[in-house]
Amino acid sequence: MFDIQLPAFLEPVINTFRYAPLVIQLAMIFIVIAAVGTLLAYFSILRNRYLGNRRDKRLAKLLPKIDNLIIDEVLTHPEAETVPADQVVLNLDAFQELPLDKKWARSALTERIIHFRRNVRGNMGLLLRSLYMQLELDKDAMKKMKSGHWEKKVQALTEFTNMDMSVADVTILPLTNSRNRELRAAARHAYIKLSKNEPFKFFDVVTEPLLMWDQVELLRIISTTEDIAIPNFARWVTYSSNKSVVSFCLKLIVHYNQLPAVPAVIKLLDTKDHYLRADAINCLGKLQVPDVEDKLVSIYSTQPLHCQIEILKAIGRISSGRHIDFLKLEFLHSTDFDLRKSAAKSLVKNDWIAKQVIEELMATATPENLRILKHCMNPLIKY
Amino acid sequence: MSGILEILGKIYQSAIFVYGLVLLLVYALLAIFSRLAVRQYTRKNSLHQRDLLSSSPLAPGITILAPAFNEGMTIISNVRSLLTLNYPRYEIVLINDGSTDNTMEQLITEFKMVEVAYAYNVKIRTQPVRKIFKSTDPAYASLIVIDKVNGKSKADAVNAGINLATFNYFVCTDVDCILDKDTLLELILPVMQEENKRVIAVGATLRIANSCEFDEGVMTRMRPPRQLLPRFQEVEYIRSFVLGKMGWSYINCVPNVSGGLGLFDKEVATRCGGYDHSSFGEDMELLTRMCRYAHDNEIDYAIRYIPKTLCWTEAPATLKIFNRQRTRWARGLAQLMYSHFHMFMNPRYGKMGLIIFPFNFFFELLAPLVEFSGIIVYIVLAVTGNINWPYALLLLLFVYLYSVMITTISIVWDQLSFRYYKSWWEVAYLCMTPFMEFLIYHPLIVLYSLRGYYYFLTGKKSTWGNMQRQGFGKKKIK
Repeated sequence: MFDIQLPAFLEPVINTFRYAPLVIQLAMIFIVIAAVGTLLAYFSILRNRYLGNRRDKRLAKLLPKIDNLIIDEVLTHPEAETVPADQVVLNLDAFQELPLDKKWARSALTERIIHFRRNVRGNMGLLLRSLYMQLELDKDAMKKMKSGHWEKKVQALTEFTNMDMSVADVTILPLTNSRNRELRAAARHAYIKLSKNEPFKFFDVVTEPLLMWDQVELLRIISTTEDIAIPNFARWVTYSSNKSVVSFCLKLIVHYNQLPAVPAVIKLLDTKDHYLRADAINCLGKLQVPDVEDKLVSIYSTQPLHCQIEILKAIGRISSGRHIDFLKLEFLHSTDFDLRKSAAKSLVKNDWIAKQVIEELMATATPENLRILKHCMNPLIKY
Repeated sequence: MSGILEILGKIYQSAIFVYGLVLLLVYALLAIFSRLAVRQYTRKNSLHQRDLLSSSPLAPGITILAPAFNEGMTIISNVRSLLTLNYPRYEIVLINDGSTDNTMEQLITEFKMVEVAYAYNVKIRTQPVRKIFKSTDPAYASLIVIDKVNGKSKADAVNAGINLATFNYFVCTDVDCILDKDTLLELILPVMQEENKRVIAVGATLRIANSCEFDEGVMTRMRPPRQLLPRFQEVEYIRSFVLGKMGWSYINCVPNVSGGLGLFDKEVATRCGGYDHSSFGEDMELLTRMCRYAHDNEIDYAIRYIPKTLCWTEAPATLKIFNRQRTRWARGLAQLMYSHFHMFMNPRYGKMGLIIFPFNFFFELLAPLVEFSGIIVYIVLAVTGNINWPYALLLLLFVYLYSVMITTISIVWDQLSFRYYKSWWEVAYLCMTPFMEFLIYHPLIVLYSLRGYYYFLTGKKSTWGNMQRQGFGKKKIK
């Protein structure tokens, strides 16, 4: 019925295929697949490079224009530093020369505004935000926020966070416990930055662990957000059942030097989790709480190695000079190299009172201990 | 007699058929997994601001270990390259492994090094450390130089560095490698972003530096090598890293983190005894032991790979040096299989025992032997007139085109994500290489591998060979 006329040169191939064993038939099929696959691969390389180069060329033309406009019309605006941002009239007409009807151009402009905003503070930042809103660039982010793709939602949340755009708590809070890690993280950052009520509320509800990377991002957001009410982080140290939240709050307590949080941190010394205990000792040392030294020395002998090292470091950081004998004994009698090194470092940090002890140890120490002492005393060696 | 030979021939043919089929299937799966892994990486990459870490007080410290043996020609620019890395908390430990040239003198003069009494703790036994140096110039405060007695292996030198390392993670590299300035930021990210597992090692893509341009140890222009032998290696590296390692990484089955660049968990590496100085494949051997340690101690571990090129290394440009390198690698593989054979198909070692080890055994270790036996059988059959030539040629064409396709796909994955190389011609140049690889390069690899196995079986003495480098100090290509 369908008598397809094949080219004559294909006939021997078809005949070979028809009468060949199964293995050869499979091989012939895969020859075609491999040849077509290779050609498709070349095509996709060509296409990708072409599109990429075209995008680069466009941006190479556009970006200098955007930068110049932002510098001329916003950053060097005569009223930029004297008049409140909401009263400054920006010359938006100048931006109309950009092809803002194109999505890629709007996206490039948004990225540059965010870039400049990261590097300025105060009124300048507010002016850039005003420009972003007046050019209605936020509409793209709003659309992304409604998208079903998590990636777009993350992009939108990041944009809102960077531009300080207010978003309702009810929109963000559910996302802070999203199953998607990236979305969850972006929502937490946005919540801290944008929530007008309780920016740290998600610490109460967070069930997933805060990863090391999350903590880096959160610390940056918290420390760069203006007008944020920093709470007493002791609240989560005491009540949170999420160990990563407690650990992160200990770092925040150090960062903000929250001495009122010390009692909560001391209570944490009784925790069964020795990693958290080590974090708590580290925190107390960095806060330089002298009252805690006796407690640390009293629990020392029952601690695992990394907690013992933290205790020795803490005594060095506090540097009250009250536990020189303890440090000396540890340095002389500990069998662990790292403990002796930590004890020696702490002795050197207490040298305002331990000078004589150090000299005495230098004169009587074993060759290895002498080397440790010299190591700790050498200003060229940091660790 | 002829009946027995016929039966044996049929068994051999069937075995080879199954062997080939499984290998093709594995590569097809790797191609799919690697695409998913690369896409996952690029997605994450676009969402995260990596430079946050470069100013964060929460950045984990990293020690860079760079062993050097007679690297006088390139040592200064290479150390300068390491000093320019973008990371807030790192130290560089350069281990001069008893160089007989002026490596040590150059370092002392250039970086104003002085001997210091350093508290060096021998956790892993190595050849004696003679002296330890620190710079008096604050600009080089992160640099430490260990001068030790030659240990006749890279492993011994790196172990000395591990003993001295301050931080919980160390990056092992070769001092002749040129690193991307964001290498440390990139390598630590998988550790910091892992949700449930402990990341014990992270690797990244390596590339060939031979025709690239460098200025003061910084890569300024990336090019595929002009010489054929290094270009073959470039294609092989792309296939191995972007397709192979990324594919394995997707299912957490990475068999090896290259000795050229890898980040390791110091605690695990130290507890399992560090690098084995008697091994010729010390990088793969360490990772195998780290996995074994993790299994034995019920550590839920992960090994991750990054598709981005973070390291450029000078590839052997002459057959003599290439032969030496590949013979050593093959010997290292044979050693590894022999010394850890109890892990083979052992469910106690999870994916390591049930996937990685069998794959390495059948498709890495046995592959040259299978190919060699295939050639012998082919010749015998040809001489006795027992070959159906049209079918034989069709099968050969199939294998040839399939290998070209797999290599081209790895170039595509690489190009889709990173668009390396400046001009179209350079990419075209690279794409043509797989057509020759099968005919010229691959037979060499088989030959050198067999040589390595022979040396392993006969226990021939061999040392950490000198690569006879040309150096990257200034722009090489005009």
